Amino acid sequence: MPPELIVLALVVIVALVFDFTNGFHDTGNAMATSIATGALRPKVAVALSAVLNLVGAFLSVEVAITVTNSVVNIQDSSGAPRPELIADGGFSLLLIILAGLVGAIVWNLITWLFSLPSSSSHALFGGLIGATLAGLGPAGVKWVGDGTKLDGVVGKVILPALMSPAIAIAIAAVGTWLVFRITRNVAERYRESGFRWGQIGSASLVSLAHGTNDAQKTMGVITLALIAAGEWTDLEAVPFWVKLLCALAIALGTYIGGWRIIRTLGKGLVEISSPQGMAAEASSAAVILTSSQLGFALSTTHVATGSILGSGVGKKGATVNWGIAGRMVVAWLITLPSAGIVGAVVWFIGNAIGGIAGALVVTAILIVAAGVMYARSRATRVGSHNVNDEWVEQTTDRRLGNREETKA
Amino acid sequence: MNILWLALEGAWNVLWVGMLLGAGLPAIFAMGIRAMSYGVGADADATDHVPHPAAKAVAYLCFGIVILAVVTGIGVIVAHGLGAELVFDGLVPRFVTG
Repeated sequence: MPPELIVLALVVIVALVFDFTNGFHDTGNAMATSIATGALRPKVAVALSAVLNLVGAFLSVEVAITVTNSVVNIQDSSGAPRPELIADGGFSLLLIILAGLVGAIVWNLITWLFSLPSSSSHALFGGLIGATLAGLGPAGVKWVGDGTKLDGVVGKVILPALMSPAIAIAIAAVGTWLVFRITRNVAERYRESGFRWGQIGSASLVSLAHGTNDAQKTMGVITLALIAAGEWTDLEAVPFWVKLLCALAIALGTYIGGWRIIRTLGKGLVEISSPQGMAAEASSAAVILTSSQLGFALSTTHVATGSILGSGVGKKGATVNWGIAGRMVVAWLITLPSAGIVGAVVWFIGNAIGGIAGALVVTAILIVAAGVMYARSRATRVGSHNVNDEWVEQTTDRRLGNREETKA
Repeated sequence: MNILWLALEGAWNVLWVGMLLGAGLPAIFAMGIRAMSYGVGADADATDHVPHPAAKAVAYLCFGIVILAVVTGIGVIVAHGLGAELVFDGLVPRFVTG
């Protein structure tokens, strides 16, 4: 087996692992509110979301191989890798992709360990930017594009990330306010059961949209690696087996469920009732679908978190835990640079060792880091059994509850 | 500064379309639920309440609008994925391969 093929195999496997972490990191974006209000039992919620992600991933047959083009210059505009990067059998490009993926996964696992919802796409872009900076220097990164359209790291990643949570907060707050205003004299029986259905429907839509948006990024990265190694030549299509494996990986990740993150989103920010849950998910679905139609790239995680906060802002008497929200914002701000630093460091190590041994060491670093974080997570296990327990701040012992309930 | 302007323009478009769909549809859904419970107060024990036939029709109309919008939304995702576009001639949706 030629050495490039072994490195290619490592890239494919690591990319699928990233897709898997993308799935479990984002289960909460769609399902946290339905789980928190009891509209769906936890296991049923993650199963439903997994199936919809699987279906969604197959719907995204759009050309995905230019996905990295908006932030790094490793391909030309048609999607073909730059010739000087694949002169050595694709090895330089494969190492950059591998290091970038390792940076993304490590950051996804760290934020999961700390129960913080952070953007998987920011982690992926961050890792790739870091590895590209290390491998090709500043010229390898596309910072702002040419100014004629939203492009580059600033236009495709940073500006949308600053604006999308604000948009989601506004829409969810207005939605929640309207819903409570309209149903203020409605008997509890109709309100709870009615909105549960609305909640399940809107959350399903978010899951479907997530599958179409996110699985496609990994498909693009794997196809790019295949092209670099000379194993695939069609720039217009993704091989079927890549699509199948990516769809399965993101669905499996979703089904495993990032319970720590689901708990933070469902219980840590706002005490959610069914009407709020529906307003939040409807806002998320509307923002994600609208922006993907309008070509405004944004992160599902930022939108979902903003929507949940908005549902707390819009309900009279509800308490929003701004402390947790603040920690999340910090995690969002450092996701891109942190994944980038990991990607760059890993690239330097892999490049210094060189050859196939370098790629193997990079993969070994990932396995060790993942193992350590998994072991640490066992100390405070969160699963379907305790995902809805009352939220108690670890440091202050403060309980988050509904102000009205506390008074009563 | 051009790129900032473009981003603001994109955000503005997402905000108003998103507001219409993301806050408007839950509001219509809420009206449906309000119609279903027509005749019972918030505090009443509603276990043996039967919705008024006219109110029920209004409620189903509201739910119908929401379901139609969601189905359209899924249609847009599917069409987008298949490289086609969902267009509306008058009110009848139609797929166009582009």
